[in-house]
Amino acid sequence: MRDIIYAVIVGLSIVVTIQSAHTLYLTLYTWNRPPSEASAPEQFQPPRLSFTVMLPARHEEAVIGTTIGRVARANYPPGLMQILVICSADDEGTIAKAEEKITELRRQGVRNVSLVVFHDKPINKPHGLNAGLAKAVMDVVTIFDAEDDIHPEIFNVVNTVMGNEQVKVVQGGVQLMNFDSSWYSALNVLEYFFWFKSRLHYHARRGATPLGGNTVFFSRDLITRLGGWDESNLTEDADIGLRLSAAGEPIRIVYDDRYVTKEETPPTIRQFIKQRTRWSQGFMQTLKKGTWRELPTRRQRRLAVYTLAFPQAQALLGLYVPFSLLTILSLKAPVLVALVSFLPVLTLLGHFLISVVGLYEFADAHDLKVSPIAIPRLAFGWIPYQLLVSYASMRAVLRHMRGISNWEKTQHIGAHRELTDARGLELGEEPSRVALFRQGAGESAAGG
Amino acid sequence: MSPYSDKERARALLADERQRVPRAREPGRTLQADEPQRAPQAREPERTVQAYAPQRAPRPRAPERAPRPRAPERTPRTREPGREPAATAAPAVAPAIGGIRPLGRAGQAALTFALLSGLATHGYHLFEYPLYSTDEGIYVERAWSVIREGRLSPQTYFYDHAPAGWLVLGLWEFVLPRHFETFGNPINSGRVLMLLLHLASVFFLFQIARTFSGSLRAPLIATFFFNFSPLAIYYQREVLLDNMMVFWLLLSIYLLLRRERQLFAGLWSGVAFGISVVTKENAIFFAPSIYYLLSRRVRWDSRRHFGQMFWLFGAGTAISMYFLFATLKGELLPTRLSFDLSHPPRGHVSLLYEMWYQIHRNQGALFVRGGYLYTMWQPKDGVLLVVGTVAMAASLYLGWHERKQDPALLVAGTLALEIAFYLARGSVILDFYVLPLIPLYALNIGLIADRALRRIPAQTARVALPALSGFCGLLLFLPTTGYFVQHGFPGQPDHLADVYNLPLTNLQSEEIAWIRQNIPPTDKIITDEDIWVQLHDVRPYYPYAQSHWNAASDPQIRDGIFHSSWQNIDYIVASNLMKNAMKLNNAGGQEGWILDALNNHSTVVWQLKRGDVYLAIYKIQK
Repeated sequence: MRDIIYAVIVGLSIVVTIQSAHTLYLTLYTWNRPPSEASAPEQFQPPRLSFTVMLPARHEEAVIGTTIGRVARANYPPGLMQILVICSADDEGTIAKAEEKITELRRQGVRNVSLVVFHDKPINKPHGLNAGLAKAVMDVVTIFDAEDDIHPEIFNVVNTVMGNEQVKVVQGGVQLMNFDSSWYSALNVLEYFFWFKSRLHYHARRGATPLGGNTVFFSRDLITRLGGWDESNLTEDADIGLRLSAAGEPIRIVYDDRYVTKEETPPTIRQFIKQRTRWSQGFMQTLKKGTWRELPTRRQRRLAVYTLAFPQAQALLGLYVPFSLLTILSLKAPVLVALVSFLPVLTLLGHFLISVVGLYEFADAHDLKVSPIAIPRLAFGWIPYQLLVSYASMRAVLRHMRGISNWEKTQHIGAHRELTDARGLELGEEPSRVALFRQGAGESAAGG
Repeated sequence: MSPYSDKERARALLADERQRVPRAREPGRTLQADEPQRAPQAREPERTVQAYAPQRAPRPRAPERAPRPRAPERTPRTREPGREPAATAAPAVAPAIGGIRPLGRAGQAALTFALLSGLATHGYHLFEYPLYSTDEGIYVERAWSVIREGRLSPQTYFYDHAPAGWLVLGLWEFVLPRHFETFGNPINSGRVLMLLLHLASVFFLFQIARTFSGSLRAPLIATFFFNFSPLAIYYQREVLLDNMMVFWLLLSIYLLLRRERQLFAGLWSGVAFGISVVTKENAIFFAPSIYYLLSRRVRWDSRRHFGQMFWLFGAGTAISMYFLFATLKGELLPTRLSFDLSHPPRGHVSLLYEMWYQIHRNQGALFVRGGYLYTMWQPKDGVLLVVGTVAMAASLYLGWHERKQDPALLVAGTLALEIAFYLARGSVILDFYVLPLIPLYALNIGLIADRALRRIPAQTARVALPALSGFCGLLLFLPTTGYFVQHGFPGQPDHLADVYNLPLTNLQSEEIAWIRQNIPPTDKIITDEDIWVQLHDVRPYYPYAQSHWNAASDPQIRDGIFHSSWQNIDYIVASNLMKNAMKLNNAGGQEGWILDALNNHSTVVWQLKRGDVYLAIYKIQK
């Protein structure tokens, strides 16, 4: 019996080590490529493409006004932009705020923003997007979330990329910003940092790309031909990315620290778990749906399955940690078995060190300062964060097994937003919500 | 279509073209700190723009931008070793980035010569000379234990050395078709591994010297000394941890110099360095120089923090496994946390205690009469030691002054200084401790000689260099240097150097043959480590044949087999070297009972003498 346990321990340790090492490789994939391969266009082409910006929103009263304002003042000809704010009919608060903002913008001569209200079910993001798609008239359709802070030049970037390279799908960079809001926010921020800056490029190169839910640009014709978004899927973005990959459509990833769309981490652990559960469950739905089977090569299919099945693996890993602790305390394994079982710890340490360096890289790129407490917080929060993610995955598995698939909305409070500039104030945008976040997270308000 | 505008694309294509063509070799070109790809003050945020599509044809690689114009290309054919560029050649432009470049024809020829000469000098007469030593026996014995018993040592492993060396040796023995007996004596198969590691080390040293100097002279000279020095041949043939450590060390440096500068090169270099430390602990002395080299290589690389972190992580991982091993066995800390060196703690062995003990050992000094420097190293190759020391000093001096533009000489000088310091500080000096110094002295000699030769004007060099080479070659044929010819005993003629000529190991073979013919396998024998595996791995086994070291110190053997009494010894198999070692090891009286048996209760039943090597077998009269 002992021999079987030892064999299981050794086998699991080796598998986890290999998987962890592979993840480490993907985490640094871009950094391992020649820098010139990832150069951004230095010059923009003259505006040629037109954009329909879809802003699906639900219970986003706190942030929707500012977001509309920021999109409206993007540095792109207003005549080439159509902005659609999409709400369900029952969300009167957000509708009211959106209408207020639209009216204000119209008074200032900005007339390309309109409200799309849908009355039917399901009430979820993909349904809202489809409702918006029906009203879209421009060349390119893009999505921003209600809490997003977009860069004013993002449309010029995409216009140049699409024009120069004749690609029909561009995924822009999305970056969480408030790395010091809570004990887990740095880890959350770094997840996005490495995903969009590095790992997604690997997926795009291999041809099995789970897209992000915003700052993604599609040719309207293409997305219409594909039938829009899957309204039954909790991660409609991953699903459409795989459908595009299956259709052989090249996807261009653009991550430029200057042009990233800024977002915030979920303000509380509860919200974080909800968000993660939704993502994990959405991946499971997408896996079950079988779109990955339509990918042309075996390598693409393997990668898709590996990515989509990962939440389930994460759930198992969460169970492995207490098992591992139990065996450490109770089992007197031979030294060699113990040494092998330590290998995953080493790769975990490697991930942590990469995160530390990544945090400084991130802060440096965005002119932010890493406080002395950030690294100890990262260190002590590492394992609890992995357990949190595992818990969310386990929750997703249970929900999936029970057939529960309602959309658990993530609250946004604009914690990532900086104090607005004069132009922002001119447009009536709200000041920083950092204080609100700290209040919401149980800390005393810091003013502002 | 390219994402660039037409102008950008044209620039990219032009730079691509320059990348593919071999660059001119300018005089004085040495390893350079990487040139910044952008001015540090104007560092821009990291940008990545990717275009991917499944099954799309690869896009042309956009080049790294060269901030300064480059010298016109020159084909490899014009680069002959030793030939100076014309004095009126274009002034040297600052080279962009150091890194190992592909070899041209001349380079390939030079490398081939280096490898073949290494194979010849180290491979010929490999099994005959030098005599199998105690330490060779110890490491082969431990490799035997790893394979046959699944343990790190047949006796108690007390952390005298980190085990990576004999783990590698054990793996090598395991893959051989007949394991330890594949090449006859067990130590022979270990020596074959040393030969292979030496050839790899020659390759690394060649590339390192070439990258540091930008010429073929330096690697040719460096590998010449590394291959032909009698001091080098003597010790580099032996199955020693130091030889394996040198291999990992040179590999670590080589990985840092690879031109591609992959992100994970720092990781693998760190792992190689970590393995070198857990092969032979004194490799840790090289850490500052290697880390400095890494820092200079990645200085202007936007990924430098990852590179540095990975190196530390790789090195730390390899080293930490050793400490983890001790921890898992409950042998990290001594009993009751006692580090009292005068009263070793009882109970169990301890890694940290052993390290503490090793640090405080003071059994030798370098610059003493009768020390190995004067009795072994200088007689074998005084040329290498003297010239190497001068070259190291020159490297340090010149390297310090030009460190900002070119850290190569400083790195080479400090690498040699680190090991020279380790030797000079005293503590324990064994004769083979000179091993790591050899390639580093050779490297420094090569670099400084190359520098000196470059100062000779081209026209003079055409005549002077071949003459100088011939003169040096002649010198090396003199018996005084001992490289190829050495003096005979008084009254005897000069003869081919012992390393190619003198058979010694057959003495030990005859010794073993006599044991097997005349001594029953159940008899209790005190011997040296060099024949231990032969007696334990080949039938009939001699389970009670134990080394005097273990008989004196390992309780399992001292008390379990011999009960610390000369009357429980049947035979002693000793060389003159072993007898000296026993006397040295008897400071605390631990070998007293063995010496008593040898001196007072034994008769010689077999003996053999050749040169200054004397072997004998003593039967103990009870």
